[in-house]
Parts: sequence; C-alpha cells; structure tokens
Amino acid sequence: MIPPSPKNFPAPGRQPERRSDLEDSPILRMVAWGAVPLSILASLVIFLQGHNLPGGGFIGGLLAAVAGAVYLLAFGTQRARRFAWWKISIAGLLIALLTGTVSLLAGHAFMDHTIWEFSAPLLGSVHWPTATFFDLGVYLVVFGTLMTIFVELALEEGS
Amino acid sequence: MLSLLIGRHAGRRTGVLMVLAATASFGMTLWLTTGGRLAQSTCFKLEWLPELGIHLSFRGDPFGLFFAMLISSVGALVGIYSLSYIPALANKRIGQYYAALIAFMGSMLGVVLSDDLVLLFVFWEITSITSFLLIGFWYERKDGIAGAMTALQITALGGLAMMVGFVLVGVETGTFSISELVQSTALQQQLAASSSYAPALLLIFAGAFTKSAQWPFHFWLPRAMVAPTPVSTYLHAATMVKAGIFLVGRMLPVFGGSVYWSPILIAIGLLTFALGAYQAFAETDLKAILARSTLSTLGLIMFLYGLKAADQDVLQIFSHAVYKGALFLVAGMVEHATHTRDIRQLGGLKRDMPITFWLGVLGALSMAGLPPFFGFMAKESLYHELLHNEVLHQWPILAWAVIVVCVAGNAFLFAVSFKLIIGVFLGRRCSRIEHVHEVKLGLWMPAAILAGATLVVGLLGLTDLVENLVNSLSSDARAHVHVSLVPNLSDPGPLILSLITIGLGIAIYRRRAVVNHLQSDLNQILPTMQSVWDRSLDAVIWIAVQFSSRWQCGSLRWYLSGVLAFFVGLVIYSLCTGLSLDDVNPKLSNLNWVGLALCGLLAVAVMTVVQAKTRLAAAIAITATGFLVALIFVIYRSPDILLTQILIETVSTIFLLLILFFMPSFARDDATLGRRLWHIGLSCAVGLVMFALVFLSTSPSFWRSDNLAGAYLSRAVKDTGGHNAVNVVIVDFRAIDTTGEITVLVVVGLCVYGLLQARRESP
Repeated sequence: MIPPSPKNFPAPGRQPERRSDLEDSPILRMVAWGAVPLSILASLVIFLQGHNLPGGGFIGGLLAAVAGAVYLLAFGTQRARRFAWWKISIAGLLIALLTGTVSLLAGHAFMDHTIWEFSAPLLGSVHWPTATFFDLGVYLVVFGTLMTIFVELALEEGS
Repeated sequence: MLSLLIGRHAGRRTGVLMVLAATASFGMTLWLTTGGRLAQSTCFKLEWLPELGIHLSFRGDPFGLFFAMLISSVGALVGIYSLSYIPALANKRIGQYYAALIAFMGSMLGVVLSDDLVLLFVFWEITSITSFLLIGFWYERKDGIAGAMTALQITALGGLAMMVGFVLVGVETGTFSISELVQSTALQQQLAASSSYAPALLLIFAGAFTKSAQWPFHFWLPRAMVAPTPVSTYLHAATMVKAGIFLVGRMLPVFGGSVYWSPILIAIGLLTFALGAYQAFAETDLKAILARSTLSTLGLIMFLYGLKAADQDVLQIFSHAVYKGALFLVAGMVEHATHTRDIRQLGGLKRDMPITFWLGVLGALSMAGLPPFFGFMAKESLYHELLHNEVLHQWPILAWAVIVVCVAGNAFLFAVSFKLIIGVFLGRRCSRIEHVHEVKLGLWMPAAILAGATLVVGLLGLTDLVENLVNSLSSDARAHVHVSLVPNLSDPGPLILSLITIGLGIAIYRRRAVVNHLQSDLNQILPTMQSVWDRSLDAVIWIAVQFSSRWQCGSLRWYLSGVLAFFVGLVIYSLCTGLSLDDVNPKLSNLNWVGLALCGLLAVAVMTVVQAKTRLAAAIAITATGFLVALIFVIYRSPDILLTQILIETVSTIFLLLILFFMPSFARDDATLGRRLWHIGLSCAVGLVMFALVFLSTSPSFWRSDNLAGAYLSRAVKDTGGHNAVNVVIVDFRAIDTTGEITVLVVVGLCVYGLLQARRESP
C-alpha cells in the first residue's frame, strides 16, 4: 500500500471508500444508539434552562444538530433524507416572528416579552417567560438549518 | 379616482372591457367638464404618508381634465381599433396586451389628475413601465426588444431626475401639493429664493424632455415605432409623449420666473421642432415619418411654453393629437393591408382602399395646416402668437429668426403630408404588393372618428365654440386665444406667413430629390444622438464587466483578504483617532501555568495548520485549535461560551469532514512572491490588530466609556427575569437582531438545499 500523498489525493467528487466502513461499524452504531437520544434530551434541557443557567436555544439547537450528525454517520442517510428538514427551520422562524407579533398585537412594542407566573400541579409555582417561545424558534432554526446542510452534504458525498 | 376605477379591471383580460372602461371614464370627464362643474375643481384626498406630507390626492382642474378627456377618448378608439388590428395570437398574449394598455391608461390618467408631486412621479414611472411592455409587444424580434429598452432607459432615467427635482421642491417648500404650489405666491417666492431653485428646475426639465422626446433625448421615439400601431397611436401621438408637456405646463406658474425657463425651453423646443420636421422628410418608413413629425410638434409646444404662451397649449395639443392619431391609425391600416410600411414600396392604393385614402387625406391636410381643418386654426394661432409675443418682443432679431425657423419647419411638415398622401395612395402601383383590400369596419371607424374630428372642429371654427373650449381648458386660467377659421384681414401677418409656408412646402416637395440627397450627405457627417447614447451604454456595460471580472473573481482567498484588509484598516483608523492603548496596564498576576501551557499548545496547533501538507491534516489541526480555545474558557470560567465553543467546533469539524473530498487539492505553488508577501503581511496585520483589540478591551477607559455589559448584567434579572445574561441578550434585549440572524440562517440553509438539489437533478 502506498501511503496517501498530496499528489494522489482523491479527485473531487470521487466516491470515497471510507463511508461504508463507518456505516458498518458496530461500535459506532452501538454508541449512537445510546448517545443520540441522550444528546437530544440534553439539548432540550439546555434549551429550557437557558434563561437562568448556561444554555439557550442556540446552544441547544447546535447540540441537537450534532446528535443528528452522529446519527447520520452511524446509520447513513437513508431514513434522514426522506424528511424535509428545512421545514423545521421555517417553522422555527415563524414561531420566533409570531412571538414578537403577539406582543405587537397586544399593544406593546415588537418583541416585548413578559413573564407568565402560574402554579401548575406537580411543578409548583412556574416562572415562564414568553421569551422561551422565541428561544424555541431559535432552537428550531439552528437545528433545522444544520440538519438540512448535513443531510444534503452527506447525500452529495454518497451520490 | 378614475384611475382607481380602471386599475381594478387591470387583471381582466378582454379588450372589450378596456373600451368600456375608457368610454366610462370619458363620460365621467365629460360630465365633470360640462356645466358649472368646471369652475370648482373636483378633489379627492386620502392620507398616505402624512409624516412626509405625501397624500393620495387627485384633483380635476380644467387642464388635467382636458388631458383625461383626451386619454380616455383616444383610449376607447384605440381599444376598438386593437380588436381588429392585433392578429390572432395566443389568448394569453392578447390578454397581456390589453392588461398593459389598461394599466397604461390608468396610470396616464393618474399622471394628469394627481395633485401630489410624489403621486405624479409614481404614475409617471408606471407609464414608463407599461409603455415598455407595450413597445416590446413583439418581443420575439430583436428590434422590438431594443426599441423597448431604449424607451425605458431614457424615460426612466428622466423620471428619476424628475423625482429628485420634486424632492428638492418638496424640501424647500414643505409641501408636495401641486395646487398649493401653483396657487400660493408665498411658496413660489420661497422656492425662488432658495438655492435649489435652478437645480430643481433643470431636473424636472430632464424628466419632461425625456418623456416628451425632446432633443437630445428624441431618438427613443422613432425607435419605439416597433410597437404595434395602436400603441404608437396611443402612446406616441396622443398621450404619453404629451406627459412631459403636461408637466411643463403644470410647472409654469411655479418655475416661470426662473431665468433659465425661457432660454432652455425656446432653444430645446425650437431645435426639436426644426430637427423633427427636417428628419421626417428624409424618412421612408411610414411610422418613422409620423414619429419624427410628432417630435417636431412636441418641440413646438415646449417652445410655446418657453414663450410663456401657455394659452396656446390646449389648442396645439388637441389639434395634434387628433390629426396625428388619425394618421397613425391610417398607417396601421395600410400596413395591415399591405404588410409593409416602406413608402418606397407603396403607391397607388387609392383604388383598392378608398376609405383609407380619404381618411389619410383628412389627417394629412390638417397636418399641413390647410383650411378648413383644425390644423389650420392651430397654425394661424401660432403665427399670431409669434408676431405678438411679449417675450420675443424683447429681442427683435431673435423673433425674426424664430419666425423663419417656424415657417421653414412648418413648410417641411407640409411637404411631409404631401409625401405621405402622394407616396402611399397616388402614383404608380408597386408590383410587389398584391391582394390589397379595404380594411374592416373596426379598423377604419376609429380613424374616421379622429379624422372627422379634424374637419368638424375646423368647421366649428366658424363659431365661438372652439375658442371658448380651448380657452377654458387651458393651463393658463386667463387664456384668451382667438381661434377662428376666418382669417383676420385687419391683421394679415399670420395669413401671409401661412401662405409663405404653403409655397415653401410645395417647393420642398417638388425638389424632394435634391433635398433628400442633401440630407443623406449631411447624415453621414453628423453623429446622431442615438449612436452617442448607444456608445455610452456600451461603455457602461464594458466598465461593469471589467470591474466585476476583476473584483468578483471567485477566489475565496481574494475575498477573504479584502474583508480582512478592511477590518485592519478600520481598527487602525479607530486606534489612531479615538481609542488609545496608553492607559492599558496588564496585570500579570492573573497568569497561571495552565493558561501558559494551553497557549503554547495553541501556538503549536496553529503552526501545524499553516504547515499542513494535506487538507485533512489542516482540518484536524484546526479542530485541535478550537478545542484548546475551549479549554481556555474552562480556566476562565465562562461556561456559556465554553459550551458554544465546543459545539461550534464539533459542527465545523463535521462540516469539514463532509466537504473534504470535494475540495480541490491544495494549491500552494501558484502564488507569486508578491502575492505571498501580501498574504503574510495581511496575516501579521490581522494578528497584531486582534491583539491590540483584545488588549484594549481590558483598558479601564474602554470600560467606562461604553459599559454595555454592566448595563445588561444589572438589568437582566429586573427586566426579564432571566439570570443568564448571555441568553437574555440574545432573546430579549437584542431580539430583533436575533430575528435577523436566524432569518439569514434559514436562507443559507435553503440556498444550500436548493443548490445541491439542483446539482444532483441535472448532472
């Protein structure tokens, strides 16, 4: 075997052999099987605690997208390509804009947030700022956009 | 008001509707004109942008109503004519045609009836765009596209200049209302005293001259003759080219006091008049002849405004619209029957097309200014004005020169009318034309109405009716033009000039071979404005191509170095002017060994990036750099940024891995020495500047002067109930910024999606 040198680097667009190796890797699959749901859960927690502790929609979305990327690496794009991920980013953008518009309709300035204080069973007194909805939009936009790009690039590589 | 009525129908796709709409608005304007309603102008006002003093206000004063009447009546006739003229095309094309025609009519009515300068400008531009669509109706043909483009470029350019002029007026006087500007002498004096008086006037002139095809912008009109004939009739004889004249008429009370008013209008108007008449005689294409003669009349009316003879305007515009409209329609009929417009191939059509012939004769005789036609009265009145004008009386030599030019120009027009009739209908039949037949009723009826109008109005000239009508509709409220078919023998000047004109015209026509020969010789020497314009357009395109191929060369290195160089320059500038590094005193006590070790590792990683021989190695080294930076955040305890940093690094590594195989192999050796030096120099500069910037951020003065962070920290809990200041800034304080950012993100994602999808589908 000749070690790869800059001269015989794979030409652009050529089918690389490494992908199928990765997809077949049982270790990666095993890890992904456990890690992906956990990461998604963690991203949700990070997102929800964002107002008061380190975290927020942006970081949560990033983490979720990383989990998605690991899933893609482990199980291939067959299932992921069937879903239109960009719709998630559009939905996120709409949620963010709507959050701002609601306050506008209520007679406040655009993006004027308020805090809902109410007591719910199990949770006790809840302290819920409406900014969370805006943050949810950010989360979905980041996650959706990154997943769109990941899936598209992975498809490009597989084609 | 009327335009709104009509604009609503623009979506519908039938010509019948257009005729109905035009007739309805004609009836409405007629109703507004007759009776006592003319005295009190009809107004309609709606707040649009009250902060800027811009209103949706319409006002039907006599002058505007005259134009509205002209537009709607000719519009109805042209609509009828089009039903028969436009060949059987796809339904969609015809729908487009009528939609554009209706939209044009609506916007034209808007121009003449709006009482707000900004509104007028909006309608003005809509007429430019719709006329572009109409001229470019034959968009399969190359000359169709060229003609439409030239018309749009010139009129839109003029329109923009005009808008600047309007804004100057609005800023100086504080109002955009035309009626206020016209009526209030205080506002006029205020405007005249300001420094933007002359520029505003010149800019508004630019708009009027481009629209009305005055020299040096005249050449778009002959080029626009590629349009279907009904369009030429409507736009280029009856209405759109009159918009510039309308504007000048409206502005006369406001700007008439300017020293520039008379010289510019007299010079440009007279030049266009003479040039148009002279060139019309040289043309061989039927519609081009008519277009050039239209130029000449437009120049004449401009010139009359220059003489402040505003009381003449309605008379001249009306007579020209009627006879030139009839002639254009006749030209269309001839083309429809023979499929050619070249006067050299036509001849002897009288036998087969008697109706067309007699209609053409009516129109041409009116253009020639013979009694008992309307054109005769207009010309008599013009000569009378020239002999008695107050402005001209100040300079007797100029007055005589003007009269000579006018007589010569009219003589040329006279010759042109004869050339039209004799060349097309009389004389020897050209053998190449066969199967000529008389046109259908739908085609000759509108022309007959217009041609008949020239005769009927002419005969009505025996009474006072025309005189009253013309005077009451004029833009000059005190107009008292004497219009009559009977020459006033006690003042024989106009009659004598008319006789000279006729004699000279006959002479020119008899000597046409000599004249045409002379003209073609002259044309070879003189550069035309058209070629100047084309060349300047080519130059603009050339510059744009050169610039973008150099600047937007597609090399990411070039773009990046441009951005970085700008950044460096900006920071150095601010360091030189405002900020200073002097009062920074770094405290070395905060240093610890872990931090130093991390910095050392970072340096090694960065060196690896630079030295990497393959992209993969470089990618791994970059990732290492990122995670080392994250470790620094661990030491300095900023968990939020740490989290972000780690995740960003992970995502970018995945990106790098995904696209690695599509990247071209490392091109390191193509760089010349100069380029390498530039890259190295820029890199060092960026490093130093970043260092200075970070250093500066610890400076106490920096903290004091712009303590945003403190403000956010103190307000976070109180205002938003959140304890994480970073997140609160993102979702609350700067939420609108974040909205913009996530929008960009979504757009980027969609772009990647669309581009890659399209690439995969079309290999």
